Amino acid sequence: MPREAEISVNEREFIQQALRENTRLDGRAFDTFRPLELTFGDEYGVADVKLGKTRVIARISVEVTAPLPERKFDGVFQIVTEFSPMASPAFEVGRPTDAEVILARILEKAIRRSNALDTESLCIIAGLKVFHLRADVHIIDHDGGLIDASCIAVMAALQHFRRPDVIVEGEKATVLSVREREPIPLSILHTPLCVTFSYYEEGEIFLVDANLAEEQVRQGEIIITMNRHGEVCQIAKYGGATVDALSLLNCNNVALEKVKDMSKFIQERLEADAKRRDAGGLMAELSAENDR
Amino acid sequence: MAPPPSLQVNLSPAELSFIRSSLAQTPPIRLDHAKGPKDFRSMRAECDVLPGANGSARIALEDGTEALVGVKAEVEKSQWRPVPGESARLTAAGEVTMLDVDDAADKDENTKGKGQNSWVEISVEVPGFRDDDALPVFLAAMLTETLLASGELKDRLYINNRFHWKLYVDVLLLSPLLSYPLSLLSMTTHLALLTTRLPALKSEKDEDPLFDDDWDASVQLYGKERQQIEKPPVIVLAMAVGSNIIFDPSKEELAVADAVLAVACTTSANSGGRIVSIRTVDPPSHLTPPGVPNAMNSATGGKVPTSSADALTQRELLSNSGVWTPPRGGMKRSLLSGIVKMVVEKGGVAEEVIEALQRVEIG
Amino acid sequence: MPLDTSTYSLALLRLDGRRWNELRRLHAQISTQAAADGSSYLEMGNTKVLCTVSGPHEGKAGGAGGGPRSTQAKIEVEISFAGFSGVERKKRQAKDKRTSEMSHTLTQSLAALLLTHLYPHSTITIHLSILSQDGSLLAACINAATLALIDAGIPMTDYLCACTTAAPPTSAETEAGGDPLLDLNGQEEQELPFLTVATVGKGHAVSVLIMESRVRMEKVEGMLAVGVEGCKRVREILDKVVKEHGKRFA
Repeated sequence: MPREAEISVNEREFIQQALRENTRLDGRAFDTFRPLELTFGDEYGVADVKLGKTRVIARISVEVTAPLPERKFDGVFQIVTEFSPMASPAFEVGRPTDAEVILARILEKAIRRSNALDTESLCIIAGLKVFHLRADVHIIDHDGGLIDASCIAVMAALQHFRRPDVIVEGEKATVLSVREREPIPLSILHTPLCVTFSYYEEGEIFLVDANLAEEQVRQGEIIITMNRHGEVCQIAKYGGATVDALSLLNCNNVALEKVKDMSKFIQERLEADAKRRDAGGLMAELSAENDR
Repeated sequence: MAPPPSLQVNLSPAELSFIRSSLAQTPPIRLDHAKGPKDFRSMRAECDVLPGANGSARIALEDGTEALVGVKAEVEKSQWRPVPGESARLTAAGEVTMLDVDDAADKDENTKGKGQNSWVEISVEVPGFRDDDALPVFLAAMLTETLLASGELKDRLYINNRFHWKLYVDVLLLSPLLSYPLSLLSMTTHLALLTTRLPALKSEKDEDPLFDDDWDASVQLYGKERQQIEKPPVIVLAMAVGSNIIFDPSKEELAVADAVLAVACTTSANSGGRIVSIRTVDPPSHLTPPGVPNAMNSATGGKVPTSSADALTQRELLSNSGVWTPPRGGMKRSLLSGIVKMVVEKGGVAEEVIEALQRVEIG
Repeated sequence: MPLDTSTYSLALLRLDGRRWNELRRLHAQISTQAAADGSSYLEMGNTKVLCTVSGPHEGKAGGAGGGPRSTQAKIEVEISFAGFSGVERKKRQAKDKRTSEMSHTLTQSLAALLLTHLYPHSTITIHLSILSQDGSLLAACINAATLALIDAGIPMTDYLCACTTAAPPTSAETEAGGDPLLDLNGQEEQELPFLTVATVGKGHAVSVLIMESRVRMEKVEGMLAVGVEGCKRVREILDKVVKEHGKRFA
């Protein structure tokens, strides 16, 4: 099984020493993210997130299926993560590593279990037909912070996505194509975003958005998922060195600030994209004037 | 079935030969020399250990082998299947109902032959083995076979024409595999089934089944009021060494067995001990390395046989010399009938074991 | 017989009759199995877990060997659910994501707790059998593993103790919400947002903190505080179990 290359003892010492002197290798402050870039594809529901060197693409697709027998009024929403060997030689297709399982679980808990997406709105005919929404997360380049980047990508893609409209007449449902009727945005109840804290020196130093080298040196991590309304959706600290309970609460406050910033950023990008898409708007299209 | 590697013992040919010759004496001297040929290893047993299961039991042997069994029953929709002469039987059943059936015997009469084998599902989990490995599958098959052999159990799972109980028996070996676990698992299953209770039925005939919430009103699957019913079968291991028969062999004793039998037996109040099924088990002794006699060892002045045929004839001559040769298996008919008799006779192994387990339930 | 719970809400009692900060009966035994290097059996109410530890022993070929990692012992955790453990009989797949998350948590927290550098090139295998589930499953697994590792005599820095807490249900009368609840059973776990917390030693050193449901940020503080207190109480109980066991050898 291929493994991540271990960081050398010298590098490890160097990073730790620098942290003790309040310096990160890339010169960021302890509580800042790397430069975040978010672009949308030509299609609806494709989001490309770059967080420093880490790059994640999320793509939403939809089809019509029968609902699960125990949830007749809910649409199906599924998040599929894939680590491709392209991102890092340590990834192998078909054999999920611990990191991959954890990423899938965190996304599941952060987005699906916290009801970020209103699955009831995906129902077409109760018990017979529902939309099956699938979010594919592809890790294109891996330089730490995968969970944060993936979460941003999925949430941005969900907000960008438009599903086709349907007409229901009794038992018969007709899915209208994009040309026939303007597609409908999904009903998003809130926007959970993840912030990963890596800690060093027995919980004395906390870093936000560690890169790969910093991740390899850390003593443990805390992943906090919040929305901008101050609701915690998920906290995960899977062992590692111990941390004082008070500093955990402190992390919550930092996370809220970061989540607010990121939500705002995503919103701005979405608006910019919407503006780009409909130059002139519907009125321009309906105008009788022609360029002659 | 070949024994799994963890059941192989690392004994030298000399040690094997020693164990075998002491077991072949009359009376046999067992590894634990305080025990006679019919004595079982001591064990600790408790039942009703799990609140979430319909019945459960745990047995730990003195060597640390430990098993836990949980029985869970769920109501399932029966698959409709045409039964020849069903309508006739239905009217018959109706008549009996009118005559007020509280008598368990009459009710049993109604359900007779309606049970299906698929209503009982046994799964065996052995640490270090996958679910589809040969050993757990084989053990589960043996246990299922003996439970279903009499056909009485599955008939008792019948509720009405449309519904039945599905009985899941999950057998867990909690400790690593230290000795051949078949009889331990079977005894634990026996005890768990004895304590299994099903909620009392409140609905009648072919209605959707409705059960009494009161657990005190539940009925035992092998209830006291059904004294004439056979107890769930227990599998005992018996092995033959020379002309001796030894019950409940330990791992080391198994390594010198000529042949091993798994005998499933049961008792009921009116007919005493009965045998449900018998199977031979491939003992690990077949795979033990043979000793090399001085006559065939050049280091001790012997002559190494020149051809394999020569080696074979020399080995034949050795059979009684005390040099270890793995047994070729097979068992004399007289021994087989001896085992059967020892199991079934009044006060025999079957009654002894089942009575001992019965006492656990009461105490 | 079903409990008559009609007066409970008036007396601020929970469905099973406990007060908000009351643990369920925590019963534990160590050295339950003669054949294992270390073993324990732990009940938190109706949640029952059996743990066996084997090792430190030589790891499987290829697993532990190679790289600087082999200066420390490798910890392997296997979790198996008995078919009869839940309300409905269900076979859990061994490679279930939730199960692997649980074993990942145990591996990570124990790796920091045990003095693994004393056993280079070796493996410590922890096997957990879940016999009955009724809430606080991860917490019970952590506590059982701690006891079994103590029984196996593997050096560790301190007890790792875990429990669960839930945010109080907001009712009409108590606008601000009542007190957080300690040590949840299966029913409460389904209804309320809860977190599992594990601490090392007597202080506030949190090793594991997992929360899976949405809750107001302000409530986390209270839940965490109650959880840390609960861990201390669990530690006392576990400590008593270990000392009782030790007396046999005195």
